[in-house]
Amino acid sequence: MDFIQNFPFFSIILSMFSGTVCSVLPRKAARWVNTIVVSVAGILSLILLIYLIGTGESYTYMMGHFPAPWGNEIRAGILEALMALFFCIIMLLSMLGGRKKLDDEVVESKHNLYYILVNLLLSSLLALVYTNDLFTAYVFVEINTIAACGLIMIRQNGRTIEAAVRYMIMSLLGSGMLLLGICMLYDLTGHLLMSNIKESVELIMAEGTYHVPLLITIALMSVGLAIKSALFPFHAWLPDAYGYSIVSSAAMLSSLVSKGYIFLLMKIIYRVIGFDVFDGSRIIDVLFVFGLMGMIFGSLNAIEENDIRRMIAFSSVAQIGYIYMGIGMGTQAGMTASVFHILSHAATKSLLFIAAIGLTDVSGGSRKFIDLTGAAYRNKWAGVAFMVGSLSMVGVPMFSGFISKLLFAQAAVQNHGKMLPALIVLAISTILNAIYFMKTVIRIYTPVEESKYESITFKNMKLYAVTLVCFIILNVVLGISSQPIVDLIEQGLAMFA
Amino acid sequence: MGTNLFSNYGEAVAMILFVIGFTNLLLQKNLIKKIIGLNIMDSAVYLFLAEKGYINGRTVPIVVNGVQDVEAYINPIPSGLVLTGIVVSVSVSALMLSLTIRLYRRYHTLDLDEISIRLKKEGL
Amino acid sequence: MIYLMLLPILFPILMGISLLVRKEMKNRPALLITTGVSLIITALLGLLAIILARGEMLLLFNLTATLPIIFKIDNMGMVFAGMTMIVFVCAGFFSFEYMKHEQKEKRYYGYYLIVFGILMALCFAGNIITFYLFFEILTLSSMPLVLHNGSREAVMAGLKYLFYSLCGAYMALFGLYFLNKYGNTLSFSEGGVINAELAAGNIQLLLAVAFVMILGFSVKAGMFPMHAWLPAAHPVAPAPASAVLSAVIVKAGVLGIVRVVYYLFGASFLRGTWVQTAWMILTLITVFMGSMLAYREPVLKKRLAYSTVSQVSYILFGLSVMDAGSVTGGVLHVICHAFIKAALFLCAGAIIYKTGKTRVDELRGIGKEMPLLLWCYTIVSLGLIGIPPTGGFVSKWYLAVGALESGMPGFSWVGPVVLLISALLTAGYLLPVTIHGFFPGADYDYQKLQKKEPNSFMTVPVLILTVLSVLVGLFPNVLINFIQQFVTKIV
Repeated sequence: MDFIQNFPFFSIILSMFSGTVCSVLPRKAARWVNTIVVSVAGILSLILLIYLIGTGESYTYMMGHFPAPWGNEIRAGILEALMALFFCIIMLLSMLGGRKKLDDEVVESKHNLYYILVNLLLSSLLALVYTNDLFTAYVFVEINTIAACGLIMIRQNGRTIEAAVRYMIMSLLGSGMLLLGICMLYDLTGHLLMSNIKESVELIMAEGTYHVPLLITIALMSVGLAIKSALFPFHAWLPDAYGYSIVSSAAMLSSLVSKGYIFLLMKIIYRVIGFDVFDGSRIIDVLFVFGLMGMIFGSLNAIEENDIRRMIAFSSVAQIGYIYMGIGMGTQAGMTASVFHILSHAATKSLLFIAAIGLTDVSGGSRKFIDLTGAAYRNKWAGVAFMVGSLSMVGVPMFSGFISKLLFAQAAVQNHGKMLPALIVLAISTILNAIYFMKTVIRIYTPVEESKYESITFKNMKLYAVTLVCFIILNVVLGISSQPIVDLIEQGLAMFA
Repeated sequence: MGTNLFSNYGEAVAMILFVIGFTNLLLQKNLIKKIIGLNIMDSAVYLFLAEKGYINGRTVPIVVNGVQDVEAYINPIPSGLVLTGIVVSVSVSALMLSLTIRLYRRYHTLDLDEISIRLKKEGL
Repeated sequence: MIYLMLLPILFPILMGISLLVRKEMKNRPALLITTGVSLIITALLGLLAIILARGEMLLLFNLTATLPIIFKIDNMGMVFAGMTMIVFVCAGFFSFEYMKHEQKEKRYYGYYLIVFGILMALCFAGNIITFYLFFEILTLSSMPLVLHNGSREAVMAGLKYLFYSLCGAYMALFGLYFLNKYGNTLSFSEGGVINAELAAGNIQLLLAVAFVMILGFSVKAGMFPMHAWLPAAHPVAPAPASAVLSAVIVKAGVLGIVRVVYYLFGASFLRGTWVQTAWMILTLITVFMGSMLAYREPVLKKRLAYSTVSQVSYILFGLSVMDAGSVTGGVLHVICHAFIKAALFLCAGAIIYKTGKTRVDELRGIGKEMPLLLWCYTIVSLGLIGIPPTGGFVSKWYLAVGALESGMPGFSWVGPVVLLISALLTAGYLLPVTIHGFFPGADYDYQKLQKKEPNSFMTVPVLILTVLSVLVGLFPNVLINFIQQFVTKIV
């Protein structure tokens, strides 16, 4: 066994222990520990990714002393390593970009708590990505939820606590369903490891027994994870949670937490249920339809919104809809598009959140559009970044959003039954996206004669500006040289099956 | 169908409890009642698991008088899962309760909708 | 040598960006010199690229494995590029005087240069994805020109322009997905790229796709029923911006349609189908309706905008006939209309600049105040109406003859008749300015008359455009031989 194969375990355990260590460190040291841990986890994932590309096959890694059917396992393939790498990058950038806001808005005694939560979040995300055991996945889903809840309410006021409560309630409903689904699956198959369950599921399908329970199981798990990742009819908690928490929390919630659940769902589809079985069930159509509805209603809500942060939050609902539409297409191409959109949306949405905070800061802290007039001139970096994010969301070529839309459309063209609804809704949703994002861009670039607010220069926001530049580069890289990444995703998905 | 239902009455009860808990968590206005719903829901799952792991006529898998034959014990894994699950649900309940306390101190009500209305009035 | 074709694209874009990010320049002449020199250098680079890199293909990079970004200078692109360069340089120099009375000059010139570069990229685009890429960017970068003065109407007009264009671009993109599946390649190639084997059984689907793509690009070209952005955007934009908007940017839509019809689907694929019929009906409706609306419109710039709606559909009609003669006429009319419409808008701009008058009925005696300008106006108007020996006459002649020769039942004579009626209407809406301008009537107060002829920054570009439009009419054979040469290959 190569030493590199230990890396997934190392990154999980490192982030978890550093979380506990953060509680006793001084504030600045905790911040450093956090930054270093996230970077180290990212580097480990990168090395693992390169190693896996080299070997060309995935491997399972035994946790503890019990071999396969009984013990606990970690599994790593190209897709897992890619996701882990990406999550680390986004988390690092979000933390850097939101650092100033954290210092400003959160009482100092809570900073350590925040770093604990972030480290915990990272470890649970990595565990979700790497685990090969369903029950472990459940446990880390709950840890993820608790950490996310803490991230929402780290800045305490009535709004955030209420948002956290609402988030918790919906999340708990979702995890309850997920847990029941896992238990029923265990009941049906007698296993908890993904690969073993899949073998048993194939047996069940071959024998033709227990169809209804299996269907219910799939439904429970899909809907449970859909609730947790804010698919359209279950999105009520989302705008408050994203809109009022501090900015790095909002960025991480929208681009990491919900994406972690979606990735788990994909894993379940491929590694537990089997793609063909899932494709054959009607659940997939339900996900498809809800995805389409989310694309439209999320954007409509965003158009009505008068608060920039909540507008971006509602746009997340629409983007999650895209991802579920891709899953619901039931083709390999659709799944590839969805995975790519996870990356692209994560890169874009966190950019938008971070840029928006820069704009609101130079507008007297107000998030109303009327006060944001001309904000892009007061904070030039944030203005450019917001414009890049918007263009990417609208789907202008050269940015990541265009590639994911292209992939979705190409996937749709291949699936005759779902081609028309998918393409039409894609078109409508693109236009709606354009309406609210371009409206905002024009608003922030409309010059005002004598502004009430002071503008900010590069000197006062070096770290922030550098973060934004990194985000923009990430977006453009995804938009221009998408092919290697798409190839990696395809290879990874092939390894899944 | 009917006989299956009867012989698996434990699971059936678990399912009914799950639905009761789920609806309570979803629909109750009062936060405490929501948390009670959450606990009922979780307990239902544990009941389901325990029921699945139990094999008639066998004992708990705890070694007391020397190791006996495998046939003597029930399946230990579901029990392990239940224990893990209980830990999770305790922590989640604790978190929810602490949140509830904070909200109550601020707004002197447990009704989530009313809190939302007041928040809107505050215009935060 | 092959990278030469990137220069006329990158140079103005970079210059434009550098103007935009620079601090507000106090020194106005420096700004003007930078802009002017950039414009001329770009035009020269464009000329150089056309001469040296003609016919070559440059693969810049791959967006995805199946979507390369390709530049290629073919004959059709050359025609559009040449027209773009001339109009941009003329209108650019015109704006040096005109923009004196507008705010934020630096921003205007910055975007003006960027738009120039992007239009060159559109002309040189070698496949549909490159074209689409720059088409989107064109919309985004030309929008600031429309909403330049920042008033509420301007912003609303800019938004209208943005959403019409984005809808159109998305419809065009919609076709790209299908072409990717049913075509051999996405590169523009003479005679089309449809793979007959794959397409068999999906003909109706592909026809629908072609129609959607044509409609998508025709949004930019202002074809009925998606023409409403044009009359909204023109009156609020600064006059030189309207000139390039009307003369060149709408032609980007025309170029898109040419590429889709003749270089992607192929004329033989579409000839005789319902797509051709429906498209032709739409163009004829637009020709007539545009002239009619222009005739009833009292505001000069809006009238010219409606005139653009009508005249661009002349071109589209020529393209839709799919006959060598009519397509030649269409392409020639692209050039003529560009010169003429640019000159007309610049005249309107000069009038606004000097007198502040925008309505046609206020323009009594304008010919006495600025005779040179109104003479130019009159000559190019005659060209637009189609009176020999101007360029408009030649192109319309080819359009009408091509339609007659095509032998399509009904359309072969309905088309020319509509064109003729529209030409009469054109005379009806353009010439009153001349008539009342030169002959203000007996009660005109000659005491108040002041010479208001603008300075040479304004008059010379108008003169150049006028002379060019006449030259095209006097020596049409040079252009026609060249156009016919490549048009016969694609029809």
